[in-house]
Amino acid sequence: MKVPFKWLNEYVTLPWDAEETARRFTMAGLKVEDLYYDRLDISGVVTARILKVTPHPGRNDLKVGVLDAGGPKYCVVSGAPGFSEGNVTVLAVPGARLPGNVVIGTRDIAGTRSEGMVLSSNELLTGGSPRPREDIILLPSDTPLGKPAEDIFELDDWVIDLELTVNFSHCLSILGVAIEASALSGAPLRLPGILEKWQWASPRGSAEPEGMPKAKQKFAIELPDPDLCPRYVGKTVRGVTFRYSPVKVERRLWLSGMRPVNAVVDATNYVMLETGQPLHAFDEDRLRGRAIFARRSRPGEVIVTLDGEERSLPEGTLVIADEAGPVAIAGVMGGKETEVTEDTKNLLLESAYFSPLSVRLTSQKLKLRTEAALRFEKGVDPTAQAAVAERAAEMISALAGGEPYPGRAETNVLSPCPKVIRLRSKSVERTLGVAVSREECETILSGLRFGVEKSPDKTGSSEDSWCIVVPPRRVDISEEIDLVEEIARYYGYERFPERHLSKAIPGGPPGKDFVRVERLRDFLVSLGGLEAISNSLISPSDLAKLGWDEKDPRGNPVRLTNPLSSSESCLRTSLLPGLLKAVIANQRAKVPGALLWEIGNVFFRSSEELPLEVRELGIVSFGLQRPKTWLEDESLSSFFQMKGLVTAILELAGIEDVTFLPKASMPFHPGKSARIVAKGSTVGEVGELHPACESALEIIPPVSMAWLSLDALLGLSQEKKFTPISRFMPVERDLAVVVPEEVPAGEVLGAIKQTGKDLVSVTLFDIWRKPPVPEGFKSLAVRIVYQAFDRTLTEEEIAVDRQNIVRELERRFGAKQRV
Amino acid sequence: MDDRIRAVKEKALEQIERAQSLGELEAVRVRYLGRKGEIPLLLKTIGTLPPEERPSFGAEVNSLRERVEQALERKRQELERQVIEARVTEEKVDTSLPGQYFEPGALHPLTRALRDIIGIFYGMGFTVYESRETETDEMNFVKLNIAPGHPARDMQETFYLTESTLLRTHTSPGQVRGMLSMAGELPVRFVVPGRVYRRDPTDASHHPVFHQVEGLAVDTDVSFCDLRGVVMSFAKRFFGEETRIRLRPSYFPFTEPSCEVDVSCVLCKGKGCSVCGNSGWLEVAGAGMVHPNVIRNGGYDPERVTGFAFGFGLDRLAMLKYGIDDIRLFYSNDKRFLSQFRGF
Ligand SMILES: [Zn+2]
Repeated sequence: MKVPFKWLNEYVTLPWDAEETARRFTMAGLKVEDLYYDRLDISGVVTARILKVTPHPGRNDLKVGVLDAGGPKYCVVSGAPGFSEGNVTVLAVPGARLPGNVVIGTRDIAGTRSEGMVLSSNELLTGGSPRPREDIILLPSDTPLGKPAEDIFELDDWVIDLELTVNFSHCLSILGVAIEASALSGAPLRLPGILEKWQWASPRGSAEPEGMPKAKQKFAIELPDPDLCPRYVGKTVRGVTFRYSPVKVERRLWLSGMRPVNAVVDATNYVMLETGQPLHAFDEDRLRGRAIFARRSRPGEVIVTLDGEERSLPEGTLVIADEAGPVAIAGVMGGKETEVTEDTKNLLLESAYFSPLSVRLTSQKLKLRTEAALRFEKGVDPTAQAAVAERAAEMISALAGGEPYPGRAETNVLSPCPKVIRLRSKSVERTLGVAVSREECETILSGLRFGVEKSPDKTGSSEDSWCIVVPPRRVDISEEIDLVEEIARYYGYERFPERHLSKAIPGGPPGKDFVRVERLRDFLVSLGGLEAISNSLISPSDLAKLGWDEKDPRGNPVRLTNPLSSSESCLRTSLLPGLLKAVIANQRAKVPGALLWEIGNVFFRSSEELPLEVRELGIVSFGLQRPKTWLEDESLSSFFQMKGLVTAILELAGIEDVTFLPKASMPFHPGKSARIVAKGSTVGEVGELHPACESALEIIPPVSMAWLSLDALLGLSQEKKFTPISRFMPVERDLAVVVPEEVPAGEVLGAIKQTGKDLVSVTLFDIWRKPPVPEGFKSLAVRIVYQAFDRTLTEEEIAVDRQNIVRELERRFGAKQRV
Repeated sequence: MDDRIRAVKEKALEQIERAQSLGELEAVRVRYLGRKGEIPLLLKTIGTLPPEERPSFGAEVNSLRERVEQALERKRQELERQVIEARVTEEKVDTSLPGQYFEPGALHPLTRALRDIIGIFYGMGFTVYESRETETDEMNFVKLNIAPGHPARDMQETFYLTESTLLRTHTSPGQVRGMLSMAGELPVRFVVPGRVYRRDPTDASHHPVFHQVEGLAVDTDVSFCDLRGVVMSFAKRFFGEETRIRLRPSYFPFTEPSCEVDVSCVLCKGKGCSVCGNSGWLEVAGAGMVHPNVIRNGGYDPERVTGFAFGFGLDRLAMLKYGIDDIRLFYSNDKRFLSQFRGF
C-alpha cells in the first residue's frame, strides 16, 4: 500500500516529516517496506497566459499564439481546443525537460517556429503524447505567470510504501492509514467531503444522515445469493462529460501505483484509495432491463472483461448481471460492454460488499489480482457502501461534471449488529505485564475510533472493565485479546520493561536422549567424521538406484501430493541416498576421500494417519581415509574401517552382545557386509557398496557405509555404572590355533571368551595362511589377558584354563593348537 | 695391612677406573665382589690365619669391600652420565618433518549454531522438546488459529502428503504437542528445534527444507515483559552485546500481541546495505503472547495462564553468524564447506 505523504496530510496534519512518520508507523505495526522521495523529473515548465492567437498560415487545424510567461514572451504553435486568448496554461519553454528525458526545443511546425510547447496533463506527467480528446492544461485565470510547474502542482512527494500484514486490511486506504496516524500523533482526523456527514468509520459504522433526498430509482437491486453478496448499492450520476482528471488526481494515482484512465474511472479509483471501498462505474444506458443482480454464474456464461479478455466463468462465480447477462465479475473486474467510454452520459456506480472468500477464490481461479479484489478479499467495512457511493458521486461530479441523482438503488440483507467486546483491565495487565492506566487505554482505543463505554457491571463482579464497540471496518478485531494488542501497539513495545523468568527451571536439563545424541555427535567428530545434513526430499529413482523396489519398505516412500519437482517428490526412507549423493558431489569436486555422517529422521508408510518417523544414524566413507605419509601407509575406506567405527559406537552406547551376521541387504555388497544384531533384533547394517550400485550411481569405489537405528541404540543402551578396578596384576598369554578356513574367526573368538575364566580381553593379532599351516586352514593368533578380581592368578590356574580353551576349540572347530 | 689385601685393592681400583662401559664395570664387580670374586675368596682364607690376626684381617677385608663398592658406584654414576650425554648428543630428529596425521571431524554449522542457541535458552530455564516433521493439517494450522481459508495459509506454501497431512511448515505445532505432553503441568518452558518445509523454489536464500527453533513459556504470571526480557537477552548473547535490538509489532495468527525481532544489521552495523535492504535492520525472529485459543488447544486454561512463544530460522541465524551467503551450502555436504567448521 503506497501512501503519498502529502495526500495523507490532507486528512491529518502530522507533526512529523515522512521519515519520522515511517519510523513511527513501523513501530506501531505498519511495516514500512520502502520510503522514497518521488519528484517528477522536469525543468523549464512554467505557467503562461495565451495573449493573442492567430490562425496558422499553412494549416487550419493549428493556431499560433503569443504566450506571456510572466515577462518573457514565446511564440507557440498548438492545435488544442483550449489554446485560445486569455487562457492560462502550462508552457514548456525551449530547453525544458519532461519526464522520460524528453527535451523540448524550438521547432518548425508546418513552416512556423514554435518556441516550446503547451502541455497536456499526460505530457507533463509522463512525457508522452496527449491522449485522445485530451486538451492542454487550463488553470484559473488568476494563476501567477512564469511560475515553475513544481510550485503550482503537487509534483514531488514522499511515498511511504507499507507492507501490511493480514490483520491490517483496514489500512488499505489513505484514510485508514490516517486514522492510525491520528491515533499515533494525537492530531485530529479530517474526513473529506460528504464522509463526515455520513459518520464514516465511526464505532457503529456509517449511517445515512437525516433528510437526504429520495427518488424513484431506475434499477431494482436483486440479491439472490446473499451469502456471497449481502449488500449492493447503485448510485446514479447523470449528465457527465468525458474528461481527463486534473493533474493533482492523476499524479496521486500514479504515486499510488495506478494508471489514470478518465475522470470517471479515476474518481472511482481515487475514492477506493481514499476509503478502501472498491467502486465500479457502469454506463447506465448500456445496462439492459430494470434490475441488477448479484448472483452466481450459470453454466456456460462468458464475459469480456475491461482488459479485453473473453473469460468463461467457472460455474457459481459471483457476477453482477443485468437482465441480459453478466456485466461484471463481482469484486474483481468489470465488463467491457458496459464500461465508461467517451460517449457515456449517465453512470450507475456500484458500491457493494462481497464475501471475501468468494472474491479470493474467483480472483485465484481467474488469475486476476486487481486492487479491488485485494480489498474485497480482506473484508471491507460492511456499513460503508452507501456513504462511499455518495462520496464517489460527489467526486465524479467535481471531476467529470454531471449531477448525482437523488437516493440510491440498494438492497441490504446485513443486519446492523455492533460488535461489542468486554475488555478487562486485568486482561491488559496480565498479558502485558504492565498496568497501563485506564486513561491511556481509553485514549488509545478512542483514538483508533473504537467506541469506549464504561461496562455496566451486570455480573455483579468487581472487575474493572469496559464495553468496547468495534468499528465495522475493523474486521481483524473479534475478541478481547485483539484489543489488548491494539493497546500494546500504541502504548509502544519499547516502553515495556525487560523482565526475566524467575521460577525454578522446569523438567531439568534437555531430555536424556537429546544429550546422548549430542554425545554421539561429538564422538563421531572425534573419529574424524564430518557431519552432513541432506535434503529429506528425494526422488523415487534415488531409491531404485540403490536396489530397493516397491516391495521393500525403503523402496516405497511417502510421496508428496504437490512436489516442486520429481527430484524432490518423496520423503527419504534412508539416510544412505543423501550420503551417497554427497559422495558423488565430493568426488566431482575431486575430493580424494571423506568420512561423512548424518543423524536425522527417515519416513515410512504407516497404517496410522501420519507416517512413521524413525531416527537413524548414517555413515559413509569413500576413498582415501588416511593419506600415505613418510611415517605410515595410506588407508582406504573399507568394510573393516566401517565395522570398527560401528563397533566403537555400539560400545559407546553401552550395548553388549552384538553380532555381525554375514550379508546385509541392498545396497550393500553381499560378500562384504553384515547385519548388526543386538538383543535379537537388527539394529543396523554395515558394509561396502554393491558393485551394481557403484555403476548405477557412477560412484568411484571404495565406498563403505553403515546405518544404525538411533531409537534402537538409545533403547538398548545401558546407563553407565562404575566397575571396581582389580588390585591384582593382569597376565598376558598368547595362543595360536589352526582351524579350517571356513570357520569364522568371530566364532573362535566368541568361543574363547565363553570358555575362559577371568578373561579381560581377547585380541586377534595375526592370521597366518602359509606353511607350515596346511592349505585350507588358517592359524589364528590371539592375545588373552587374564585378571581376577580377588586374587593373583597362579600359573597352574592359567594353564588349566588354556587347556580348557584348546579342548573346546578342538571340539567345536577341529582346531589344533600351534606351538 | 696384608699384602694380599693391598694387591687386590690396587688392582680392583685400577680396573674400576679403567672400565669403559657399564658392562665392563659389571665384569669388574663380578670379578671382585661376585660369589666367587676375589674379595669373598680373601675372606675365605681367614681360617688359615692365626686366631689373633683374624679380627683385624676380617675388618680390613670388609673395609676393602666397602671401598670397592664405593668406587664401583662412583664409576657407575659417571658412566651412566656419559651414556645419557652420548644419547642426548647423538639422538636427534628432524623436527621439521610432519607429525603423525590426524584429520579431525566437524559438526555441521547448523548444529554448532543450534548448540549455541540451546545453550543460551537452557541458561534461561528452557528444555528441549522434539516434535514430528510430518504433521496433520489440524496441528500445523487449525490448532494454531489458522482455519481453512485463512489468509495466513497463502503465506506458507505447503507440501501435502494427503488431503489432511503435510510436512510441517513451521516448528509451531511443537507448541501444541509440547503443551499436551506436559499434561497441565507448570511452568511450561521449552524450545523445539527441527526441520521445516516450504514449497519455495530453491535459491540463495530459500531451500525447501530448512530449520527453525521454536520456544514456548507458559505459566500463571508470564507477560509481554518476560517475552521482551527473554528475546532481548537471547539476541544480545547470540549476536553480541553491541547489537541493537528492537521489537516491532507484527502479525502471526497464533500469537497476540505479536512482534518481529529485528537486530541491527551485522554486516553494515545498521548503516544500511543490500543484506538488510538498506533498513539497517535484520528480521531474525517472530514472537508474541500465545493466543488464548492456542493455550486452550494445548490443554491449558487461558483465563488462568498466559504464555509467550518465539520462533526463528536457524539457517538464517547461522548464515549471519558465520557470514554464509547461500543457504544451499548447508545442504551441499561439500567437504570443502563442512571442514571449515572444525574446532572449538
Ligand atoms: Zn546492512
